[in-house]
Amino acid sequence: MTTLPTHAAPAEVTVIDTHARWPLLILLTAAIKWLILSGMLALISAIQLHSPAFLSDCAWLTHGRMAALSETAFVYGWAANAGLAIALWILGRLGGHPLRALNWVVVGTIFWNLGIAAGMVGIATGDMTSFALLQLPRYVQPLLVFAYAAIAISGVLAWSGRRRAVAYASQWYAVAALFLFPWLITAAQSVLLWTPVRGVVQAIGAGWYAQGVLALWLFPLALAAAYYVIPKVTGRALPSYEAAPLGFWTLIVVGTWTGGRQLVGGPVPAWIPTIAVVGGALLLFHFVICAINLQPVFTGRGTALRFFRFGLVAYVLAGVLALLTSFRGVALHTQFTFVDAALNQVSLYGAVSMMFFGAITYLVPRLTGRAWASPALLAGHAALVKLGVLISVGALVVAGLTQGGLLLDAKVTFPEIFDQVSVALLINTAAQFVLLGANLLLLVNFARTACVCGEPVPAAAPDLFRQPATVEAPAS
Amino acid sequence: MKNGPLFLFGLFLSVVITWSGVVLGSHLQLGGLAPFYDETESQAYPQRPLGTAARGQLVYADLGCAACHTQQVRRPDFGSDQARGWGERQSVARDYIFQARPQIGASRFGPDLANLGARKPAAPTADALYELLYAGSPTHPAYPFLFASDRVVGERSAHALKLSGAKAPPANREVVATERAQTLVAYLLNLNTGYDYPESRPLPAPAKPAAKEEAKK
Amino acid sequence: MSTPHRPDAAVDPAAMTDENLLAVHERMLGKQPDEKAHYRLLPLNLLFFFSGLIFFGGTYLGRFSGHFSPKVFNEYGAPPKPGAALGVAVDPLVLGKTVYGQVCVACHQPNGMGLPPAFPPLVGSEWLAGSEERVIRILLHGLVGPIKVKGVDFIGAMPAVGPGSGYNLSPEKVAAVLTFVRKEWVGIDTPILPAKVAEIRGKDGTRAPLTVPELEKIP
Repeated sequence: MTTLPTHAAPAEVTVIDTHARWPLLILLTAAIKWLILSGMLALISAIQLHSPAFLSDCAWLTHGRMAALSETAFVYGWAANAGLAIALWILGRLGGHPLRALNWVVVGTIFWNLGIAAGMVGIATGDMTSFALLQLPRYVQPLLVFAYAAIAISGVLAWSGRRRAVAYASQWYAVAALFLFPWLITAAQSVLLWTPVRGVVQAIGAGWYAQGVLALWLFPLALAAAYYVIPKVTGRALPSYEAAPLGFWTLIVVGTWTGGRQLVGGPVPAWIPTIAVVGGALLLFHFVICAINLQPVFTGRGTALRFFRFGLVAYVLAGVLALLTSFRGVALHTQFTFVDAALNQVSLYGAVSMMFFGAITYLVPRLTGRAWASPALLAGHAALVKLGVLISVGALVVAGLTQGGLLLDAKVTFPEIFDQVSVALLINTAAQFVLLGANLLLLVNFARTACVCGEPVPAAAPDLFRQPATVEAPAS
Repeated sequence: MKNGPLFLFGLFLSVVITWSGVVLGSHLQLGGLAPFYDETESQAYPQRPLGTAARGQLVYADLGCAACHTQQVRRPDFGSDQARGWGERQSVARDYIFQARPQIGASRFGPDLANLGARKPAAPTADALYELLYAGSPTHPAYPFLFASDRVVGERSAHALKLSGAKAPPANREVVATERAQTLVAYLLNLNTGYDYPESRPLPAPAKPAAKEEAKK
Repeated sequence: MSTPHRPDAAVDPAAMTDENLLAVHERMLGKQPDEKAHYRLLPLNLLFFFSGLIFFGGTYLGRFSGHFSPKVFNEYGAPPKPGAALGVAVDPLVLGKTVYGQVCVACHQPNGMGLPPAFPPLVGSEWLAGSEERVIRILLHGLVGPIKVKGVDFIGAMPAVGPGSGYNLSPEKVAAVLTFVRKEWVGIDTPILPAKVAEIRGKDGTRAPLTVPELEKIP
């Protein structure tokens, strides 16, 4: 059975890629630079955990602000820019037309990054909002919404003007992420910043937003990348793809109901952590479907799939752990400890970032028309970042469980807890070093690949990209 | 999914529903929470914080103290919060209604502060807090930028810190708390979970099935 | 993994074109371009799993949501019954002591001994130990003129303290302070009920302060 369309199969790199080259490269450059910066800030923050006196003289670098800075740089700097670049690229290719409104993308990118930079300076000088994942000062937040919308328009247009009427999973996820984030952040801003609600409802709203950032923004971007690259590289249709729509809608509908899971036992009515547990349980269905759909990643080869393997395992693990730590019996031992930090690391670094790395590995050669400058650096980055994530998650889990056990014993003082977890926190610092080093390798590799001065960038390198064979749908 | 606008609308509706359920629902339930009037004492609780304490909360927020400290006491059978003397009852929503930006926190690398001003047997003194903030400790960062080191001219300032040993400044200088430090300490010492609201009492022990019906009165 | 000698080691080759990707998966969703959407049924095990999760969620919600009440902070709790008194159960002795300290202590003194010749003692007072109807009316209307307490003459003016007076104490507070002083200084444990105070207030209305002869006419 042949599924060849009536026109000739397009080459692997087409005008769609060359047309979008510079805007997307700007986004990716910004992303990787923010990744390095957030790595440095995370390193300082990790050192301050076991050595509180480190850089404490400087008001800009005090630990509370450093934690906010590193988190902001990671999510709004690296993850946002990389995710947007990947989403736009995928939507362009699957839409079948060159991306439109790319000028807006460039304008949006510039203002987004300026806004984040201004916001970081604002946090450092004391304007942070104290809401997790929404620490950027009030005055930059409206700018971010408009900048994001400017970038997202191109993607939504690429989807609405697509060639084929039926959209693919990557397109659903990418459009969801592009479309929903402005609403998400505006809703959060309105109840937290512009017309703040009373008392603990702020904490509930902040928890809802933090979960929304993951479930409605970053996870869809990562999944868009996974659903695109994995079948492209393995050459197999995704198994049980007919379940994918249900998996998608489960994430979108149920995802943010789990926002109250950190408020277990807290000063909020009991129904809020309870629906967080119920939401987390329903969300398991989404993770199972993703695991089933994306399992070909384990049989494929190539550098990109290495990242996606790690990312998929981390993704499913993140979902399971989020549910587990929502249960009150488990929360008794893990709440307020480093286990939450470990879970953050698994979700943001292990799942989202690794999938982004995989997508970037696949994307950049096609965008620039050149192979990666150094396969060794590529392999080095992959190995080191996996090592770093594993060590940091392991160390934080050990620290968290130790801390949790000691917190339950009323006779143990906080200096004693500090002594007991110091070693694990030192190991976490070492892991942050490794991650920073890995990302520096990526920066060097990327710079050498994308920004080779003086050499003209080829319009398309037909000898670099083999023409793929036609794949048949699996028997129904 | 073929129908473009319907897809986008479906996405939007999902977010609206979850926002309405979680955030708006909580707001409708808790947004109008009023202070509790106690007949015996003819007083409404919680009491509004002092002006300096309210400003101190802003300092607390912008220094990011919530990165390591929580301000929520859990119920007795859920952790050692009350055994550690952090509070005599669990924190409830009513405790936070007069706080501009409640800092309930999500990480306990340091002790909980919800009831710092009313700790038994004794709350920390202002001097102890100033010294901790200025010099830090092996487990707590220092915040020397909250203090000014001035030359002593004539009498020592009333706000000068009483430091001794290695932390003390040279003889002709004194360390004075800036306004930010003063408001922060005022805020910390003003934190208390005072009144025992009906909803904050622990559940009665489920002795008999009939007693279970009395649940929360 | 990439082997270094392959020319495209740093490029993951695509094994499927975009068109192919879209076409193959569209076919799996079972839709043709001109057909209305119809979805294939989920595999049975996934369906069971999802149903199981929904069942778990439902029972968990039923058990631990506290009926979505904002007053329930403990997931094992139930919301307060609609008719239940939402207020704190006021201990009349505590309330009475507070009221005594606010209103009565100036004249009758903190130790209840009073101050001759104007303020009679409450300690061991036969009036307090006597009829409830009388003692309630003393508080509601006040008392003027001479009075003999424990064989000693006193002459003074006690103001009305009940509802409608300058102090405007509620029936609960009047009953509480009477319960307190009777227990504290006369040793009578039977509390005075707010309902009785309110009933007497309703019967008598507002009137001028009593004198002892009028008081003695009351049973």
